[in-house]
Amino acid sequence: MFGYIKVDQANLLGKEFEAYNGIYCTLCRQLGKDYSVFARLILSYDCTFYAMLALDLCEQPPCYQEGRCRFNPFKKCHYADTQSLAFSLAAALSVISAYYKLRDNLLDSPWYKRILYRLVQPFFASWRKKAAKKYPEIDESVSKMMDRQLEAEQDQNCILDQAADPTATMLSEMCGLLTEYIPLREPLQKDNTKRILQSMGYAMGRWIYLIDACDDLEKDQKRHNFNPFLLDHRVDLPAYMQANLNHALSDALLSYGLLDKCRYDSIIRNVLCVSCVNIQTKIISKYSDAKETED
Amino acid sequence: MNNPYEVLGVSETATDEEIKTAYRNLAKKYHPDNYNDSPLADVAEEKMKEVNEAYDRICEMRRNGSHSSYHTGSYGTGNSYNRTSYPDVRQYIMNGRLDDAMELLNGIPDTNRDAEWYFLMGMIFSRKGWNDQAYSYFQRAYQMDPSNPEFSAAFNNMNARRTYNNPGYNTAGNGMGCSGCDICTGMLCANCLCNCCSRGC
Repeated sequence: MFGYIKVDQANLLGKEFEAYNGIYCTLCRQLGKDYSVFARLILSYDCTFYAMLALDLCEQPPCYQEGRCRFNPFKKCHYADTQSLAFSLAAALSVISAYYKLRDNLLDSPWYKRILYRLVQPFFASWRKKAAKKYPEIDESVSKMMDRQLEAEQDQNCILDQAADPTATMLSEMCGLLTEYIPLREPLQKDNTKRILQSMGYAMGRWIYLIDACDDLEKDQKRHNFNPFLLDHRVDLPAYMQANLNHALSDALLSYGLLDKCRYDSIIRNVLCVSCVNIQTKIISKYSDAKETED
Repeated sequence: MNNPYEVLGVSETATDEEIKTAYRNLAKKYHPDNYNDSPLADVAEEKMKEVNEAYDRICEMRRNGSHSSYHTGSYGTGNSYNRTSYPDVRQYIMNGRLDDAMELLNGIPDTNRDAEWYFLMGMIFSRKGWNDQAYSYFQRAYQMDPSNPEFSAAFNNMNARRTYNNPGYNTAGNGMGCSGCDICTGMLCANCLCNCCSRGC
């Protein structure tokens, strides 16, 4: 995952931002606890969101305690109790996806970067091994995604939906997995909740894949890399990007609307309704501005 | 059954008007039209039923019969389109057997593919989450038969989502603008207020 799923701080209340930060710091600590102090460096906003979604399903809200940040001793952090599996699952997803991303980067990076990646690969591999032992489903899902992605990109007749499907399916499976590990709060029913989360995960995965593709479009065009928006020659590419991103976000919001609201509702809505919209507007504006100057 | 007031998200002391507004917002949010092409159509239908029942119960409890007729018919399950050339395909889609539905549709020769064929194809892709394909099939179905209410509803609904204009979200008044328009309106209002203030000072 790529770090696009974050909150819009300006539109959050102080207590909401504190709660979100608490989850972020706790996930960072969990990475250090479960894997290594260096594993804390792969902490991402996407996995923080994943942990928040998991915590939203629990009966009891997390209890926060004050502590100090390992990287910045002047900063005070709020750490949540880590009895719930939410953090452990999110940490496992972080290291597993980081490992596969690294392996993918090894294939198409310049030589100097490849040397660096080769040096850190053994660490990532050992963390991944540890995480996969705990949650084999996550490892299986992410590795399947990488294979399917490669397959889709090599397909001559690949279409946008097909290219976005592996990432979307992976996140759908990851969100569905939460219902297997997290004891659900009242009145959530397992079957329906699983389906809602899967559907929301699919839409969000699709959005993540597409926004990353939008962001990389110029680079991919220059290097002749695969990009789903370059598959057919669209007349108005920025509008096409916008429509597809809106559609995915809208689907995620519709699915989420069926879940009974809980403690993080306002933060989740901040992510879906404000932050993601701002991010996509910012990225697409690069292309619409360029188009305007061309015209 | 849950407390009907909780279902509508209002307090027991809420006025009739507040209850009506809460009901309207929820009915708009869970309306079958919004979820018709979603894999969660049945979940939304259940929610809608729950909201309808809660509203009915509150009306009954308050002995105010005038509200109860408000939603009947208008917020039903929406499956009033009976004429179909593909009953099996529709059945498969309803049961979530998308691959089987697709196989049946693909078996129909090119020359016999009518607007409904394109519509159902769009439905399958939409339920799979393959939105871009779904959109082009819905568009084709609508172009072939613009007078059909089912096709036009599906196409318009999808167009709304592609502009991120979700029914039940923008209208819910939750304070978080979903669309660019909301933000613009907000800015304009804020601007007017600022102007007024500065003139006043």
